[in-house]
Amino acid sequence: MKVRSDILRIYQSLHTWTGICAGILLFIGFFGGALTMFKHPLERWVSAPAALAGALAPQQVDSVVREVLAAHPAAREEFTLHVLRHENNPAPVTWSAGHAGRDIDLNAMRWQASLDEQGKLAAQEVRPSLFGELVDMLHRTGGIPGTLGDEYLGVYLMGVAGVLYFLALVSGVVLLLPTLVKDFFALRKGKNRKRFWLDAHNVIGIASLPFHIVISLTVIVFAFHDQFYDSLQHVVYGEQKMWVRPSGTPGPGDVSKLAPASELVRLAQQEAPGFEVTEMLFMDLESPRPLVRVGVANEDYVVRGAVSGYLLMDPYTGQVLNTSMLPTKSDTWSSIVAPFFALHFGSYGGDWMRWVYFAFGLSGAFLFYSGNLLWVEKRRKNQLRDHAPPAQPRRTAVLAAATVGVCLGSVAGVAAALLAAKWLHATSGNLNTVLMATYYVVFLACVAWAFRRGSARAAPELLALCALAGFAIPATSLLARLAPSLGMWAHGSMGAVGVDLTALVLALLLAWAARLAARRARSGPPDSVWAAAPAAAAPEPAFPQERQA
Amino acid sequence: MSAKPDAIRPDWWSKTFAGAVLGAALALALAGLFAWAGPGGINAREKAQFVMWIMAPLWMAVFSTVYLFRSGLRAVLWLSGANVAAYSLLFYVRSTLG
Repeated sequence: MKVRSDILRIYQSLHTWTGICAGILLFIGFFGGALTMFKHPLERWVSAPAALAGALAPQQVDSVVREVLAAHPAAREEFTLHVLRHENNPAPVTWSAGHAGRDIDLNAMRWQASLDEQGKLAAQEVRPSLFGELVDMLHRTGGIPGTLGDEYLGVYLMGVAGVLYFLALVSGVVLLLPTLVKDFFALRKGKNRKRFWLDAHNVIGIASLPFHIVISLTVIVFAFHDQFYDSLQHVVYGEQKMWVRPSGTPGPGDVSKLAPASELVRLAQQEAPGFEVTEMLFMDLESPRPLVRVGVANEDYVVRGAVSGYLLMDPYTGQVLNTSMLPTKSDTWSSIVAPFFALHFGSYGGDWMRWVYFAFGLSGAFLFYSGNLLWVEKRRKNQLRDHAPPAQPRRTAVLAAATVGVCLGSVAGVAAALLAAKWLHATSGNLNTVLMATYYVVFLACVAWAFRRGSARAAPELLALCALAGFAIPATSLLARLAPSLGMWAHGSMGAVGVDLTALVLALLLAWAARLAARRARSGPPDSVWAAAPAAAAPEPAFPQERQA
Repeated sequence: MSAKPDAIRPDWWSKTFAGAVLGAALALALAGLFAWAGPGGINAREKAQFVMWIMAPLWMAVFSTVYLFRSGLRAVLWLSGANVAAYSLLFYVRSTLG
């Protein structure tokens, strides 16, 4: 297809600048997002074995709920009944005394309650592992600290990156149109390295284009939905109501009259046949508007949440108040909107689809990484025959170092935090603070390292560091099994073992990449930011260099 | 057309302004029109979510094509005109249906 050259030029600039401005932040967003696909297995991997255990009969769960509400007023505001239990939420009932806002409180404590052997209520205050939440925050903010109003500053920046990302997608497609048929699926691994990277960038970009369009639009909505709703309320709806609240009978305000939990589970099950009740969030039990939000999961349906759909019920009467988030009984508009969420969360099709999203997420991260490398390569000054390699412009050296440092730094940081969760679990301080500090220390150290050493040396070194950290994850689990005296643990569940295996595979890939980068630094063209010898100090400039690494 | 059109001027700042600000305003107006005049009308249950969701694609559709205007000034003028038209229609619809 023919496109006018002035249009191509404009979209070329647009593609370059939007990519450069947003690429690094989006890399972290995509890498973090790929990990959040398996947030629960990661949570299970880091969670220490809990003392509270044992399956409880429905009547026993009912009495736990009753006794908790009688003895702990804080739980009357909000508590969660975990119908489905794993390593990371071993107790049937949990609640926290503090507020539940959008930001993470590293000092947050959580109460959990179950029955002891004598059948008496055993409640204890524990510090929940926030590892999954931290990864989620990294995904949503890129790790940029600070808040703006009651939202993270990083979320808004990610929203801006989402806008730039959409522009980059459109301009990228326009650029590819004239040569689409010829270039698509061509992966020329010839003499020209740049051609190879460009081909790889194009194939991945075009092949996953629908995914990327969905992600960019949903990112914009997730970042700015408050502003969108506010402007709609002011300009469009005015006096009209945007929402119809569920109207049940006013709550009696007496928690002793609450319907038994097992009865609520039974009613929810009846309302959503084929779905599995996962957890129930009880809210504002003493207020006139008591509510229980029931999580219902079924892999065969497109659901609204990250893992499940929801059902809103009156916790006193068991009356179903709202089914708009239950796929089988949703209203028209909700069922049109649900896929937007599901397409971002990958919450349809079960684990199979989660793996697809994991792969898409990592390939997206590769798209941004390779895009930046292409920018650097395009601006490189070529070495003239019989001349010393030229000094490369400063901006390419800076961008190359930033790309390598920030991208690989975030990978190494997450792996290090995962390791810290096991190695430093016995810390006297707050483990969540330790996890957060570990991430930032490793991340910032990698960035500093990349700038200090230059991209050529730092790339293989940081890749090797990432690979090493990746290998250490399954090694730690193995060590925990072999040497229980260390006090660490390794869960045998599929989810936890899956974390180990995935880390191993990624570590192998990273080690391979480190080898390639090292070879390129050693024997690649010297007139490149990826050549290890500083251009100005190259000893034998006329030495015939091998052009292909 | 036989005459070769003039090359498009980049005009990055004015076009980006037009796409970012005027494009967003236009998306709001169009979403608003859908809210009032679209299926179900303004009071349809849970419709507000969908109305909010279509703002992003509308905005991005404008933003990503604004660079095709021949100059930044044209982009600003055309999109301003589109905004005036869309908001006039929106307020007319609001006052007749509301």
